[in-house]
Amino acid sequence: MERKFYRWMLVPALLFLTAFIYYPVLRGTVMAFQNYNLFDLNQLKFNGFDNFKAVMSDPHIRFAQILLNTAVWLFGSLFFQFVLGFGLALLLKKPFAGRGIYTAFVFYGWALSGFAIGLTWAWLFNGQFGLVNDMLMRIGLLSQPIGFLSNPNLAMISVIIPNIWYGVPFFGIMLLAALQSVPNELYEAATLDGAGAIRKFTSVTVPYVKPTIVSTILLRTMWIVNFPDIIYAMTNGGPVNRTNILATQMINKVFKEYDYGQGSAIGLIIMILLFAYAMLYLRLTEKGGDNL
Amino acid sequence: MKKHMTVLFVLCALLLVLSPAFAAGTKEVASGPVTLTFVETMTSPSRTTQILELIAKYEAQNPNVKINLVSPPYEQADNKLTLMLNSNQELDIIEVRDHTVKQFVNNNKLVDLTSYLKAWDQGDDLLPLTMTAAKTVNDTPYLLPQFFFVKGLFVRTDILAKHGFTTMPKTIDELYKMSIAITGKAPNQYGFGFRGKGSAFKISDILILSDVANINVDNIYKTTDGTFAFSTPAARKAVAAYVDLYKKAVPSDGINWGFNEQVNGFISGTTPFLVQDPDTVSMVAEALDPSQWTVIPMPVGASGKTYLDYGFAGLGIPTTSKHKDLAWDFISFMINAENNADFCRAYGPLPVHTSTYANDPYFSSGVYKSWEIEMSDPATYVFVKYPLDNPKYPAWAQIQEQTMQSLLLGSTTVDQAIKSWEDYWK
Amino acid sequence: MKKQTVFSIGRFVLLAFYVLAAVFPLYWIVVTSLKGPKEIYTMPLQYLPTSATLDSYRKLFSFSSFSLYFRNSLVVALISSLLAMAVSILSGFSLSRYPRQRTKGILQLALYFTQTIPTFLIMVPIFTMFSKLGWVDSTAALMLVYVATVIAFSTIMSKGFFDRIPVSLEEAAKIDGCSMFQSLFHVVLPITRPGMAAIFCFAFINIWNELFLAVMLLMSNDKMTVPVALNSFISKAGISWDVMSAGIVIALLPTMIVFGFGQKYIVAGLTEGSVKG
Repeated sequence: MERKFYRWMLVPALLFLTAFIYYPVLRGTVMAFQNYNLFDLNQLKFNGFDNFKAVMSDPHIRFAQILLNTAVWLFGSLFFQFVLGFGLALLLKKPFAGRGIYTAFVFYGWALSGFAIGLTWAWLFNGQFGLVNDMLMRIGLLSQPIGFLSNPNLAMISVIIPNIWYGVPFFGIMLLAALQSVPNELYEAATLDGAGAIRKFTSVTVPYVKPTIVSTILLRTMWIVNFPDIIYAMTNGGPVNRTNILATQMINKVFKEYDYGQGSAIGLIIMILLFAYAMLYLRLTEKGGDNL
Repeated sequence: MKKHMTVLFVLCALLLVLSPAFAAGTKEVASGPVTLTFVETMTSPSRTTQILELIAKYEAQNPNVKINLVSPPYEQADNKLTLMLNSNQELDIIEVRDHTVKQFVNNNKLVDLTSYLKAWDQGDDLLPLTMTAAKTVNDTPYLLPQFFFVKGLFVRTDILAKHGFTTMPKTIDELYKMSIAITGKAPNQYGFGFRGKGSAFKISDILILSDVANINVDNIYKTTDGTFAFSTPAARKAVAAYVDLYKKAVPSDGINWGFNEQVNGFISGTTPFLVQDPDTVSMVAEALDPSQWTVIPMPVGASGKTYLDYGFAGLGIPTTSKHKDLAWDFISFMINAENNADFCRAYGPLPVHTSTYANDPYFSSGVYKSWEIEMSDPATYVFVKYPLDNPKYPAWAQIQEQTMQSLLLGSTTVDQAIKSWEDYWK
Repeated sequence: MKKQTVFSIGRFVLLAFYVLAAVFPLYWIVVTSLKGPKEIYTMPLQYLPTSATLDSYRKLFSFSSFSLYFRNSLVVALISSLLAMAVSILSGFSLSRYPRQRTKGILQLALYFTQTIPTFLIMVPIFTMFSKLGWVDSTAALMLVYVATVIAFSTIMSKGFFDRIPVSLEEAAKIDGCSMFQSLFHVVLPITRPGMAAIFCFAFINIWNELFLAVMLLMSNDKMTVPVALNSFISKAGISWDVMSAGIVIALLPTMIVFGFGQKYIVAGLTEGSVKG
């Protein structure tokens, strides 16, 4: 009786997911094994693993480079998003006058679209009319404007910075909430035991908010890997492929080359990598990501 | 308990059953005026306004026809149109571009316009180039071109004069030399408005390949004797000169410059030379005084010629349309000499009728004079085609962009870059 | 005492750093939107517009039917995030109380799995499906897809909230003669109200900003949403920065409002959600 009730309650959500997520994914997966190029649909046929081979052995857009870029993009963004977000949460934990307004301003970036963020930062990093170059030059740190987005060694950093900027609020909010939920008695008990601030942090705070950390990091990982918007707007993968990640290459295949087969193959590679990552991650953290 | 479960179930079922019902509310009722669906793809807010004005004019003349304009954002428009066509959405008029026509024809999506064009009283007034463009695929007119994009050289005359330059570059070599000479004359003064990303090859190809004497006009990447155009000695030298230009006359940021940065560089005076299409004119005119700038015909290469690509878009009728004759009627209205001239004047590109150039002073005077010269001197300004029907063409932009950037940055040599291009087109 | 002062100064400096870093892109966008198209490209850069003008905003609303798109977006985002909230209350509650651990684990995995999927992989199949069903250009159908795209995360969140509510509450209600449904709606839900607000806000922000599905699944110009309209300011002739920056500022308002008013509840809601019950 009860179980039946719980089962029925799941039906609406599962219907939505099946109709608009799982079924389309299945169709997308089929496309990954087809010669599905809009240039000539008469050639539409199954071609086994040809799409995967083509993507992985492209002599011009090297797959190894794209994988490496994806890893740098992911870990560079994730690390700073988390550390800065955690720092912000700690700062906001104790109430102060105007905290409400303050948080609204510190968190608003999260409410922007990735596309708008990319455009805005491309504008800030512009080599001629960019605010960043202008400020650095006025301060005297630079004598000449630098090409943040055109220098192959700076381009990746220049797209990661906006992504960090965008991701800090998410961690900030989630971790702030978690921090506020730590019962005060725990701290009081720790004080009685003679623990200092650092001890309290490592032995009370961190263990208590660990479940939140585990699941937010997992979710954010998936979101960062599947977030081409900023790069697409800022560099479109250039210069010389230095900012081309799996997700942007997928857009290129679908939108520029009309090759839905190879595009879907990249999509499938993303899913497989992320799923493997999630499994490994959950095993390592010994925690089914069931807490937020 | 049971009751609640039933209610819940009914609610879910209702949701799924009803959703198509309220979704299908867009279907047209058969009676009343006929509605034609028109998808534009080179969308921009001001251009859409212009099209809507023409549609209003048409609807006033034809009370029985309604035109439903669909304007997807420029960056996704071609893709969206492709998806709509391939899922057989009911469309009646579509904007087809030079790089989409082959694909639409391959998939059997476009109606052959031969008979319509034959019966059209303005058919003879079209430029020869218009008909060439119309017949890009299979020598059959699958679209009626509406306008052309042809490159011209925008020049900041005030900046040149300030630094003592009084002549205009006649050859690409002179253009390079002047760009390099003016660089550094003042702080933040560079020479050439470089294009580094976003179909940059449409500019670099002109500058490089115009040094080659025998380019095949049907395929800019081949010479008349069939060799790969970049592998000729003249082109090798020209590629090296192009790299040299980047190093000596362009801000290093230029490698990441798209249209916006290019035009901004011109307007701010940082880079007084700019190779661009005529639709740039209105942007420049909005920001600069007529005394500050001009447009001259593209300088010629070592071959004594300039190979110009003609970008175009036009209107076509999808095979799935149920109102093909009406659709043609609308197309022939949109692209009649008068409306075409009005449209191009507001939007910027070059019109498609011979009579427009003869009768409308706007397109043969001022900055447009340069394009008129380009259009009327086939010995010097040679119109060439990209291999639009080659299945490798769609991916070329990205490959070229990445390999060219790596060449400009000095990570590869000229020979390596040319070899990789040759391998790609093999 | 001294240590305290150093500490609070340090805290103040850090807080100032965060807010400056957060605000300066917004500042530049606002300044750009108040400059005329000429001044935007004038060197040296002006940190405040020399002659502030609302022309860009005027242009934004007269050039395009921006107020219409704004309304469309509001309708779409409000309805679909409310729907997502409702659906995820059911699914989250069920998942939280689900008696069989194995099934529960599989269901959770299935939810997390959806987060690995790139939108571009499902976009074309969804379009094909919609086209067969005659759903293309239907705002209602777009909302269904939006619900689907946020439902997994909403469910994960809502399960977290319900996990904190002791089952004893429901058992007590049961003894009082409440049905399971009644106990959910009259006993459990009222306690988790801030949590539900958090779910709503997350969904709203995501849906309000969604671009590609809206571009693909809608056709008529008068059904466009705000992100699509913003994207339309990019044409062959590049970006019209004056109108674009004004559009970005306007597009930010609803999410700022949802956030400004809602953040207290969001944090409160999430706080409840993050306690282990």
